Amino acid sequence: MADFIQLCVNGLALGSVYALAAIGFVIVYAATGVVNFAAGQFVMLGTFAGVGMITQGALPLGLGYGAALAAMALFGVLFFVLVYLPLRKSPVVTIIIGTVAIGIVMQNAVLLSFGSWPFRLPSPLDGIMLQIGGAMITAHAVMVVAVTALLIGLIWLLFYRTALGIGMRAVAQDVEAARLMGLPVNRLLALSWVLAAMLAGIAGLLLGPMWFADVNMGDPIALKAFAATIIGGFGSLPGAIAGGLFVGLAELLGASYVSSAYKDLIAFGAMILFLLVRPQGVFGERIQDRG
Amino acid sequence: MTLTRQTVLRLALAAALAPALPATTLAQQGDILIGATVPTTGPLSLTGKQYLNSLRMAEQDINAAGGIGGRKIRIVFEDTQASNSTAVNAFMKLAQETKPAFYFLSSYSTQNLAVAPELKKIGVPAMYAGGADVVAEQGNEWMFRIRPADSVAARGMVTAATTILNAKKPGILFIQNDFGQGGANVAAKQFEAAGTPVVGMEAYGQNDKDFSAQMLSLRAKGADVLVLFNYPQDGALLLRQAKMLDLKMPIVTSSAALVPAALQLLSPADLVNVWGVVDAYMDASVGDRMKDFVERYRKMFGTDADPYGLAYYDGALIMAEGMRKVGLDPKALRDWIAGLRDWPGIGHVYGFDAKGNGVRDLAVVKAKPGTKTLELVQTVKVD
Repeated sequence: MADFIQLCVNGLALGSVYALAAIGFVIVYAATGVVNFAAGQFVMLGTFAGVGMITQGALPLGLGYGAALAAMALFGVLFFVLVYLPLRKSPVVTIIIGTVAIGIVMQNAVLLSFGSWPFRLPSPLDGIMLQIGGAMITAHAVMVVAVTALLIGLIWLLFYRTALGIGMRAVAQDVEAARLMGLPVNRLLALSWVLAAMLAGIAGLLLGPMWFADVNMGDPIALKAFAATIIGGFGSLPGAIAGGLFVGLAELLGASYVSSAYKDLIAFGAMILFLLVRPQGVFGERIQDRG
Repeated sequence: MTLTRQTVLRLALAAALAPALPATTLAQQGDILIGATVPTTGPLSLTGKQYLNSLRMAEQDINAAGGIGGRKIRIVFEDTQASNSTAVNAFMKLAQETKPAFYFLSSYSTQNLAVAPELKKIGVPAMYAGGADVVAEQGNEWMFRIRPADSVAARGMVTAATTILNAKKPGILFIQNDFGQGGANVAAKQFEAAGTPVVGMEAYGQNDKDFSAQMLSLRAKGADVLVLFNYPQDGALLLRQAKMLDLKMPIVTSSAALVPAALQLLSPADLVNVWGVVDAYMDASVGDRMKDFVERYRKMFGTDADPYGLAYYDGALIMAEGMRKVGLDPKALRDWIAGLRDWPGIGHVYGFDAKGNGVRDLAVVKAKPGTKTLELVQTVKVD
């Protein structure tokens, strides 16, 4: 039982990070129709923003987190201005290829700036262990789950209880109608990229102490977050959360109770199954419903 | 002499193309060109950078010692990234444009396997550091391995687990690639032969970051020693997560988890109850040449050297000695290396067998209590 609890908590922590990255996917896709294949590199950049501020810049943790997230917000603005705006009238495939290319650029820029050696990013809860039902749980893993839950709540409030969020949803539904209603469409689109970058930044800061920071960490995150988004439903916030948690739990419970050699088959097998049988995912909108 | 328009045009064309002249032309001017295909970008660059640095250091040292018969060597690098096709392209680029007298290939076996047929066609000697036994089993007479083969490393790890730690119920955790799977299979057979069959074997993917399921599974099966086949970063993560999971059994890890790039991620507490079976024990106490190498490397590149890089440095010195003795003729140089026995390198005593394997010794190390300083437990020679 202790091992099961251990695996569930670790799976939830892992799934929370996938969920945050998947929410970044969803926010950008819902607002702009773009599948951002650089999403994994956004998370990697978030981790390295933390490395730059905390490990190398020697800022205190709180200040370092704030500075890293500010840097990620700025990156979101730059991405919107330098990548999305010039490409937005291009065919979708061009934009997708653009995000893949910018992901490669980001990875190599970080490699050139920080080198190939990985870094250890500290956690405010370093070294604190909790014993739950005989399982040894790191306090950081519990914090990851808690922070993710808090962020999900805040995102829900933003989208469903504030004028800003309702405006973003309106733009996501129909850009032209939103423009005719007088909404500042470009500002709201920019905000979507900023939000996605900041969420990726938080995911990166949470991941750093768990995984170490290295320039290649983005790809596996992107793959798992993409699987989570497909399973949960593209464009669906609850879908991204459920999909992320499913992938995280499937990864660890599958490795333990099915086979460690075939554990990824469970998440990616489920993704393929959804693509074949229910392409809109568990919570996703039907494709023809979107304006 | 009358300058016609045609002559002027030819001269202009020659001047314009001069920077793009093939390296062979440069070689004729004096330098002996050596090709090196190593991963300098991408996921494998963590180790690839060590090869690059060590070869640059060797190039400098060989030239400072008078080069080869008064000619300097120049190592031309091409990036293999983490892809077999890129490795082949990098090799072909060197083969066609640079035409080196000797090659250093990467330490990744699948890249070595991909390049091997092209090397055989060209017929120029090469050194490589990929560990998979299958590379040598192919019988490519131009390829010489400058690190212990994976089967040698696996046997060394089994020796450490059974003789030092007295393992009765070993468990194996391995990275799911040619290195990990190959090493794990050899180790399992060795444990079986020693009368201590493994209680479980668990795998993880190269991109995996959480190993709790695999480690808990092995603990549940009653493993009394955990044997790890890993790469640097995942090795460090494994050791750290083992402590977080409060695993009590001793761990025997392969070389990669204790290279400087991985060690800097760990705390002394992460290394308690951990034994490493490393390619070479790199400490100044080993001798003057090791001290000199370790200290100069740190001074030149600002980081600590690892045993993989040292293998390339030793390899370059072997190449240089061969060139001085028998010249640049590929067949003569190949034969000289193939006949080498008991060549005293810094990291190993090299001697190549019929399949081109040059190293059969390893070192078992352990961190001094409360520190990350590794000390030698014993050396292991596998026949």
